[in-house]
Amino acid sequence: MQTSLVVALTVVAGVVTLLGIASTLARRQIGLAHLAGAGVLEALLVVQAVVAAVAMAGGDTPADTPTFLGYLVGALLIPVAGVLWSRTEPTRWAGTVLAVAAAAVGVMVWRLLQLWEATGA
Amino acid sequence: MRDRSALGPAAESSDGASGGPARVLVVLYAIFTLAAGARATVQLSTRFADAPVAYLLSALAAVVYLVATIGLVRGGRAGRRTALVAITVELVGVLVVGTLSLVDPAAFPDETVWSGYGRGYVYVPLVLPVLGLLVLLRRRAGDREG
Repeated sequence: MQTSLVVALTVVAGVVTLLGIASTLARRQIGLAHLAGAGVLEALLVVQAVVAAVAMAGGDTPADTPTFLGYLVGALLIPVAGVLWSRTEPTRWAGTVLAVAAAAVGVMVWRLLQLWEATGA
Repeated sequence: MRDRSALGPAAESSDGASGGPARVLVVLYAIFTLAAGARATVQLSTRFADAPVAYLLSALAAVVYLVATIGLVRGGRAGRRTALVAITVELVGVLVVGTLSLVDPAAFPDETVWSGYGRGYVYVPLVLPVLGLLVLLRRRAGDREG
């Protein structure tokens, strides 16, 4: 788990959140910009999950492993669910749906880092 | 006219039967069901004896969020009534548990979702039921007119 990756994730999550709010304010559904942003976010989350899995396979496990895994897997699912859900929403609130999902990811990655640094080793 | 704006095509009016602001609530409640549920599962299964009251409250919070989510997703008169009850319980819960956790910290040796009015979750647990009640009651007033 690297702080730089968490910072990058936070920035992307922040951008997706702002894009979502922007389309709600502009009375629009979500568009290509949102899909691209959510795609980058998900890709970074996959990288993070792989990095964490490799480290854990190498015996470097956090003290509270079940909680850590819960956040890791939960964070992976949220952007996917957010995109699927906001694409079926025809009103301007589609963007807010995605914004909430992205903001949740932005908070979760910091909690993940915290859990990781409380390592037993 | 085909709209190719990167921000997406123009939105439809949110006066429809479901969706709109209620959809945002569903997302928030779904995330909190996941968060509280996962937390309660971990706490109850790995260290129940440490703080049974706090962990049972986590589980209760998860159930309340789940019921509210289901009520909001189902929609309709019955769904909204279910959600209204769940969200009222949630508001009372976060106020009571929040106050108790500050007045008598010894009774809560470990955090719950509702400790300190949800400070571990940037106070979203405190704001969420208020937002929920606003959306539901506004829609109910609309039903009566219509």
